[in-house]
Amino acid sequence: MSTELIKVTINGQEFAVEKGARLIDVCREQAFNIPSFCYYQDLALQASCRMCLVRIEKMPKLQTSCTITCTDGMIVTTQSAEIEKAQRAMGEFLLANHPLDCPVCDRGGECELQEMIFDWGDVEERFVESKNATPEKFLSPIVANDPQRCILCKRCTRVCDEWMGEDAIEAGNRGVNTVIGTYGGWLDCSQCGNCIEVCPTGTLLDGTYRHETRPWELDQTISTDTYSSDGMQLSIGSRGGRVHRIVARDRYVDGLNGEFLDVKARFGHGFVNHEERIKTPLIRYKKGGKLIPTTWDEAIHFVTNKFKESGNNVGVVASPRLTNESIFTLKRFAKEVVGSENYTISDVEDLAPFFNNLSVPLATHKEIRHAKTILLIGGEPEEEQTFTAKQIRQAVRNGGAKLIIVHDTPIRLTAQASQFIHVNPKSLDAFALAFADKSDKTILSKIGAAQSEIDDLLKLIGESEGDFIIMFGRDLSAEAQAVLANVAGNFASEKRRVLLHPLPLYNNSVGANDMMAGRKSLSDVLINSTALLIGGSLSKPSALTDGFLSRKDFIVVQEMFETATTEFADVVLPAASFAETDGTFTNNTGFVQRVRQAVEPVHQAKADWIITSMIAREMGVDFGYNFSAPAAFRTLADSIDAYAGLRYPHLKDESKPVQVKHPIAGKKDLSKETDALRRGVEAMPETNEKIIGTPKVGHKLHRLTTMTSKTAQFHLLAHGNPKPENLLVSPLVQFNLDGTPRVEEKAEAASAGDRISDVKRTAGVTLDGKV
Amino acid sequence: MASVAPTFYTNQVQVTDEVANFSPEVVEEMYLHLTKYPPDRKRSALIPLLFVIQRERGYVDNEGVNFLARFLDLEVTDIWETVTFYSMFNLRPVGKHHIQICKTLSCRIIGEPKITEHICNRLGIHVGETTDDEKFTVSLVECLGSCGTAPMMQIGFDYHEDLTTEKVDKLLDSLS
Repeated sequence: MSTELIKVTINGQEFAVEKGARLIDVCREQAFNIPSFCYYQDLALQASCRMCLVRIEKMPKLQTSCTITCTDGMIVTTQSAEIEKAQRAMGEFLLANHPLDCPVCDRGGECELQEMIFDWGDVEERFVESKNATPEKFLSPIVANDPQRCILCKRCTRVCDEWMGEDAIEAGNRGVNTVIGTYGGWLDCSQCGNCIEVCPTGTLLDGTYRHETRPWELDQTISTDTYSSDGMQLSIGSRGGRVHRIVARDRYVDGLNGEFLDVKARFGHGFVNHEERIKTPLIRYKKGGKLIPTTWDEAIHFVTNKFKESGNNVGVVASPRLTNESIFTLKRFAKEVVGSENYTISDVEDLAPFFNNLSVPLATHKEIRHAKTILLIGGEPEEEQTFTAKQIRQAVRNGGAKLIIVHDTPIRLTAQASQFIHVNPKSLDAFALAFADKSDKTILSKIGAAQSEIDDLLKLIGESEGDFIIMFGRDLSAEAQAVLANVAGNFASEKRRVLLHPLPLYNNSVGANDMMAGRKSLSDVLINSTALLIGGSLSKPSALTDGFLSRKDFIVVQEMFETATTEFADVVLPAASFAETDGTFTNNTGFVQRVRQAVEPVHQAKADWIITSMIAREMGVDFGYNFSAPAAFRTLADSIDAYAGLRYPHLKDESKPVQVKHPIAGKKDLSKETDALRRGVEAMPETNEKIIGTPKVGHKLHRLTTMTSKTAQFHLLAHGNPKPENLLVSPLVQFNLDGTPRVEEKAEAASAGDRISDVKRTAGVTLDGKV
Repeated sequence: MASVAPTFYTNQVQVTDEVANFSPEVVEEMYLHLTKYPPDRKRSALIPLLFVIQRERGYVDNEGVNFLARFLDLEVTDIWETVTFYSMFNLRPVGKHHIQICKTLSCRIIGEPKITEHICNRLGIHVGETTDDEKFTVSLVECLGSCGTAPMMQIGFDYHEDLTTEKVDKLLDSLS
C-alpha cells in the first residue's frame, strides 16, 4: 500500500488516510461504529449482509462501506435517519428465517448477530410467514451445524478457501433455500474449526463444547498454543477447574494469529482434565516392580538420596514442550546441583546448527504475510506450522508474492507456488548443497532436477525486491541447515531484505534451544549418565534409547501421563499441563509469549520448574525462585543474553509480542560442514523415482491429535498410546476428545459401521495405513 | 443391533471415492469443451461438462462428480455448490421426462398452482417425486425467463408456454 495521504471527510470531520484504504476500516479506526457481518479483514469481499451502509456524497444511493476504497475529497456520512432505517430493515431481513432460539444456542452471549440486532435492529418482527425449517446436524464430530441460524455471510466458506485452501464448505442451493453445507453432508477436511470461529451466528458450533456451559460463565485466560511452534495466542475457557474450550475470538484475545487456530490448538485440550492424569507421585521401589503412589515429601526424599549416590553422573533431559522456565531450571539443576554437563533436550531434531549459523534475522509472521518472495525447502507447514502456511498462502493469493517450493512431495501448497522444483525422495540435502555451491554440477542427478530449474530459481531470486524469506523444514540434515542458514545472507542486497524462518515441530523448540545452550547430544547424555532426570517424555524412544533406559540405575520422570518413558522410571512425579502453569514459550519467530494458568493443577500435579527446584532444595541448592514464576523468568532473563532485561510485565500485551534477537553470526567458514554434507550427498543412492500425488489434508496433523488425547500431550507421548479405533465407529456420535463416544450414544455408535471409511478419510488417523 | 441414527444426521449420504468411466468419444467431447477456455481457467468448463455428465449418467451422480473434480482440479464441494444452484442439474435420478414448472412471480400469479396441482393429480405424485414407471418427475423451479408467456414449464430442454390444463393434458398424452 502506498503511503500517499488523501483527505476524507467523515461525519463532518476531516481525516488524512492512506490512499487505497478501505472505508469501513478507516471509519472504525476513527471510532465511527459501523455494523457488519460479512466483512472480515484480509478476506475476499462479499458485501452480502448490507449492514455497513453509508451515504457518500455524489453517489446515487447508500453504499456498502466494506467495498469502497477511499478517494480524495470523499464526503461520508455514517449515521443518519436514512441509514438507520436501512440498517433496521436489513436486520429484520436477516432475522426473517432466524429461529431466535438464543436461549438454547451455544453462541448466545458472544453472538455478533445478537449484539448487532440489539444495537441496530428493530426488535419488532413483521414477518408472519412460516420460516424455513432445516434440521440441526453435525458436519463432523467437532463441527455442529444449525443451518436455520445462518445469515449467509459466507465467512466460513471464505476462510476455508483462503486460509486453509481446502474448499471443504460451500453455500449450496439458491435464494431463500441457500444453506452452508458440503457434498454428502460430511465435512471432509483438516477440521481446523476456523469456520466455527469466524461464524457471527450460532450456525457453526464447536461440537465438543456443545451445551456444556454458557460463554459468560467461562473464565477466559489468554495463553499460548501448546502444539505448534507458531506460538498462536488463544483463550482458554475454563470453569470450576475444568478446561471447556479454546478459542481465538478477537473479543477475548488479540494475538499474532488473529482468529486463526488449527485443530490441535482448538480441540486438543482434552488431556488437561483427563482421568488418566497421574494423580500422585509414584515410586518403583524395586526394578521390575510396580509404581506405588506416595507423598511428595517421600518422593522428593527418595529422589534426593538416589541422586546423591550418583553424584555428577546424573543426566538431565528436557522436553521441548516445557516452558522456558522449566527447561532453564532443569539446566540449572544439571549445572549447579549435580555439577554435570550432561544436559540436553529430548528432541532429536536439533536447532543448534540453524541458530549458530544464523546470517540474517528471523522473519515474523507479519513479514511472511507481506513478503515478496518465499522459498520453502522441504517441510510441511500446512500440517505442522499451520499458521505459517496460512500466511504463505495469503502472501501469494492476496499479496501477490512469489512462492518457490523445493520438495520431494507435491505438497498442497504447491498449488500456490510459482515454481515447484520436484526433487528425488530424500534428496533435499543435495539441493541445499547445490544451492550453496553453485559451481558443483555433478550432484544434479542426485537431486533429479534440471540445471535450468535451479537457474530459473536463482534468476527469480535475483530479480526479486522487498522481503525474501527462506524457510526450510526438518527433513534437511544438520549440516544442510547450517550451510543454508549461513548462505542466506549472500542474497541480501539494497533492494532485498533476506529473512529466515525455521520450521521446528514443537511449541517451544526455539526456547529449548535458547535455554539449553551448550548442551550435549541426546545419545551422549544417555550414554554418559547413570541416573536421569527427564522432564516430559522422550519423544522418539528408538530401540537405542529404550535399551539405554533399561540399563540406568535410577530414572526420574516428570510427566502428566503414564507413557513409554515412565515404564522405565523409578520415580514418576506428576507434572502440570500448560493450562495449569505460568511461564513462557518462544515461537519460531523469536516471540516470547506468556503461558498463563487457567485452572488449578489437577490432583497433586506441580509445574515442572517447581518440581525440579524442590529436588534441588532438598539437595541443598536454593534456586531463589520462592515458587514464583516471575522470579524464575527473571533469573532466566538475566543469564541468557537474548532475553536480557525481559520481565513478565513486558510480555503482558499479547498484541505486542516481544521478539528476542538471536545473535547473528555473520559469514562463517563452513567448509567442514560443506564437506560433511557433500560426503552425505555422495553416499545417497541415485534414483529416478519421484513421489507423485499430493498428500491428503490432515495426513500428518490428525494422527497426533483431536481424537486421541493421549497422543496429544504437553509432554509428547511416544508409543503405547491407546488405539483410536473407537473413534472410527461412527461420525454420527459426538466424541469426547479422547476418542471415546459420548456414553449415551455408544450403542448406536457400534452399529453404524457403514460410515467407517468416511471417518478414516476425514480424521486422517489411518491415512498411512497405521492406526 | 438395529441401526438407529438420530434424525439429526439423516441428510448425510454415503460418499464414495469411485470415479466414473466414460467412453473415449465422451472424454474427447469433454476435452473439446475444455479448449474453449483459457488453460488456467479450467473450472470455467464446469457447466458444459455437467451437462455431459448428466446426459451420460442420467443425473449428476457421485462418481461423475469425482470424475469432474479430478478433470478440473476442483473440490467436490465446489461442484456441489454449482450443481445445487442450477435447477437444470439433478443430484438424484429423475424420470425420463423432467417436468420443471416455473414457480416465480409472473407464473405463480397467473396460474402456476393450478397447473401444478393438475399435473400432480394426473400423475399421482407430489412435487419433487418421480412416477413409479420412472417416466415423469415434477419439480418447481425458479424463473425460466419466459414471463411474457406465463404460466410455462420446461420438459427436457423444451419450453411449453401459455399453459392451460387442456394443453397440459394433451402434452402429457403425447409423451410416452
